[in-house]
Amino acid sequence: MTTVAVKAKDYKSGIKPIWCPGCGHFAVLAAITRALAYLERPKEQVALISGIGCSSRLPAYVDSYGFHGLHGRALPLATGLKVARPDLTVLVAGGDGDGFSIGGNHFLHACRRNIDLTYIAMDNRVYGMTKGQASPTTAPDWSASKMTPHGTGVRRFQPAAIALSAGATFIARGYSGDPKGLSRMLVEAIRHPGFSFLHVLSPCLTFRPEQRAWKAEAHAFTEETSDEPVEAARRLHADDGLGLGVVYAERLPVWPPRHESTASLAMLEEEFSA
Amino acid sequence: MFSMNTDMPGMQTGGLSVAVTGSGGSGAVTAGLILLEAAAKKGLYGLMMRSAGPQIRGGESASLLRFGDAPVACMSDHFDLLVGLDWRNAGRFAQEIPLDASSVILADPAVGSVPESFSASGARVRELAFKERAARVNGGRLNMVAVGTAGALCGLPLETIDAAVHKILADKGTVVVESAITCVALGYELAALPKVPAPGAPEESAARWRISGNEACGLGALRGGVRFVAAYPITPASDMLEWLAPRLEGLGGSLLQAEDELAAINMIVGASYGGIPALTATSGPGLSLMLEGLGLAVASETPVVVVNVTRGGPSTGIPTKSEQSDLNIALYGMHGEAPHLVLAPLDVRDCVLTTQWAVRLAEHLQTAAIVLSDQSLGQTRAVADPPAEFELSLQRLIERSPARDYRRYAATEEGVSAMTIPGVAHGMYTADGLEHDERGIPSSLAADHRRQLEKRQQKIDAFDYGAYWAEIRGDGDLCLICWGSSSGAVFEAANRLAANGVALRVIALRLLAPLRCEALRQALAGAKQVWVVEQNHSGQLYHYLRAHDVLSVETHSLAKPGPIPLRPGEIAKTVAEQR
Amino acid sequence: MTDLLSGDICSVAEFLVHALEMETESAERYRELADNMEVHNNPEVAALFRRLAVEGDAHAEQVKRRAGMYELPDIAPWEFKWTSPDAPESAAMDDVHYLMGRRQALELALHNEIRGQQFYTQVSGRSLDAKVQRIAKEMAREEGVHVSMLREWLAREADKLQAPLEDLDPPNMPE
Repeated sequence: MTTVAVKAKDYKSGIKPIWCPGCGHFAVLAAITRALAYLERPKEQVALISGIGCSSRLPAYVDSYGFHGLHGRALPLATGLKVARPDLTVLVAGGDGDGFSIGGNHFLHACRRNIDLTYIAMDNRVYGMTKGQASPTTAPDWSASKMTPHGTGVRRFQPAAIALSAGATFIARGYSGDPKGLSRMLVEAIRHPGFSFLHVLSPCLTFRPEQRAWKAEAHAFTEETSDEPVEAARRLHADDGLGLGVVYAERLPVWPPRHESTASLAMLEEEFSA
Repeated sequence: MFSMNTDMPGMQTGGLSVAVTGSGGSGAVTAGLILLEAAAKKGLYGLMMRSAGPQIRGGESASLLRFGDAPVACMSDHFDLLVGLDWRNAGRFAQEIPLDASSVILADPAVGSVPESFSASGARVRELAFKERAARVNGGRLNMVAVGTAGALCGLPLETIDAAVHKILADKGTVVVESAITCVALGYELAALPKVPAPGAPEESAARWRISGNEACGLGALRGGVRFVAAYPITPASDMLEWLAPRLEGLGGSLLQAEDELAAINMIVGASYGGIPALTATSGPGLSLMLEGLGLAVASETPVVVVNVTRGGPSTGIPTKSEQSDLNIALYGMHGEAPHLVLAPLDVRDCVLTTQWAVRLAEHLQTAAIVLSDQSLGQTRAVADPPAEFELSLQRLIERSPARDYRRYAATEEGVSAMTIPGVAHGMYTADGLEHDERGIPSSLAADHRRQLEKRQQKIDAFDYGAYWAEIRGDGDLCLICWGSSSGAVFEAANRLAANGVALRVIALRLLAPLRCEALRQALAGAKQVWVVEQNHSGQLYHYLRAHDVLSVETHSLAKPGPIPLRPGEIAKTVAEQR
Repeated sequence: MTDLLSGDICSVAEFLVHALEMETESAERYRELADNMEVHNNPEVAALFRRLAVEGDAHAEQVKRRAGMYELPDIAPWEFKWTSPDAPESAAMDDVHYLMGRRQALELALHNEIRGQQFYTQVSGRSLDAKVQRIAKEMAREEGVHVSMLREWLAREADKLQAPLEDLDPPNMPE
């Protein structure tokens, strides 16, 4: 006698999130528990890896294995785990600062490698945990941070477009205010064999209360998912950053290819003696 | 100094030191490798180091060898034989190839004259027509003629040199091998010496290993159970990674080339969290980048090993040269209080055991271990006895059936708490760099912090490390303390002093952190004068020992930075002068 | 009134799975809000949400019992036939604030219950299945009871002073 909501409860750890009331990350947590429930992944086979930031607190709230690692380093942590333990379902969670500033380099290479990971980047265009500085996805003229009182003056980082250029084989954008869409995209992302990038608009009502406007401004991409990078690039560059949907999905070989043991240590050691 | 070849077959224990220099693709390295292999086949122990100019190819190059009938663990005070294939820019090697009046230089006037920096030593120059001999052979190379001559002078039988040529040039094809053999024979003749009989086939020499320090660390890692490596290339660690890559794969493991060292350290933490022993190798600049990740391993109690093949520092430093200047960063580099392990192999062969031990310790104690190798070990090829078997059984404590109230970071008596790994039902927890309570929930409470600090300290301190912590030899009022790669020169200096009637002991530290203070005090008991010998500028070990208050008698620091290795003679002289 | 139904609900089983999902999610959401208010030291509102969660649990139990003999279809999270982003009775997360008072919390709850009631009413009105019509109508009526209850509680709040929605302390930096 059960529905997804009932089953999803089971994936919650019971630890009370410290996110501010109204935070978009609650919806992402709900989507993750629903997706895992829907896919019926055993809890002990799931690992949630994060860096530092409000969104990176997420693993503690899910009843699975997890690692709350270093700022910007969730992707390499997850990469090492997945390559060593390909049997696990590995999800990576983090924010826009963690992922695109300090984590930028790892983001590029993770997309390139096409390891079977699902990277959920919760983007609120601000550094929430450290009290409201501009992040790489903040608009250049946002001047509400004391650290950049005239705004950064620097153009926005475009996560989805960069993911595409860097070689991610599944790129989607969701919104915490669209839980149905988010759940569906997340299930697709986890199912996708290869590196799935799920860019989630997740408002920070404490430092960016104006993001309430996303409710009205976010819009679904009208086109179907593309498997053509040039077409996907066109859509992403034409987009205002609030387009929702699975933009690009392609099947490419998952890295690394599996291999079996073919030698023994004793055999190796023979090479040293005459 | 003994005269070569005339007292063959037995070589004196001091051994023979030979250097070969050349440039522009003249094959000085190949020549050195062949001589080393020939010595090995003759049943001798040996070491070979290389030195080079900054060019990728075609630069000036030198092979520095030492071989003898006792194990060789360091370069000697001077070289007996210097073979110049040509002399372009050879002066850059003058400091590394010290000669004296008893040395012999083999030179072909057709390729230039011996530089002042070598001839000033008073060494005897023997002029030989290498080039002319090489020209007689189709595809003949000068360096092969020189190998023949040098081999003869070193008392190596021609057959042995031939066998070495076959082995070293195996993948160059028969044409190259044939012409090389012919040139070697011509060079052998040039030496104008009586033929040395081919050796019988001593069993021990066949069992002897040819291995470099980097390969030895790699093997130690595999023996220790490492099946995941993530690393970023850096001189002089890259050849360890290249050695490991196909072999790890062959064993069902993986080597992942990371985008940078920040990624590398985090990747191995991730893999280890998944239950797979993991390791990386780097050098000073990379270790600096990895410190935050090492701290994460310590705080989350995830086993990892970082092999630091130390090079000249600080900053970019001297990438191709050796130094022992990373002790401080290994000991103190992590922020906060992060007790961990620091080990240092004592010689090339010891790289196997020390790395294996480091992996097992890290696994069992659930912490980070830094292995301080260096360029002089890593890129030196040794002919040595097979590595010692590792005697201890140290396992990662894994909880496979967690109880209801399973607590990942429970404060146990020894400080080690069993860990679940992903896949174990009901054992879920989130590992964290944040301070945490016994369940791993982040906590900023004083009691939790204190409990976890004590736990992490206790597990390191309370463990019984057994006998591997140091190599202690001899006895007497005088004591030499050293660590890692300088041990070879220190032991040799000690042997010389002992031969001259000085009663002394040597303590070569293999385990640097935690410092076995009690054991060290015991080992020092009765000593009246202590010398702390190391290859760095500021006396890092000296100050570390002082800080731990284990030096209660008159203590001196003999600290000399790279790039030139410490030589037994200078150590013995310095110590003798101040007695 | 907005159209809350995105498609027709054709069978009792399908209806019940929707109802169960709605009630469960609603209760879970109130529980989450209660926890969140507790963490943010607003015990009054925490207690209110906790009570609503308990009510929601009870309602969910009722639906479960009703659904007892039915084979409930497996519906993916995005396939439920409501037009609202969340299930109709689930409080929208972004309408809450750690300084909110009981009045605002009750207004939120009232809004949700009304919407839940409207949903059941719409289902009842549109369904071609007589049984679905009946059950949906019943549930709409039950929701009506909750709506009245909440209106009552709200009325009691009318005279009380509400704290201003401004925290004079600067934000904190936990990490």
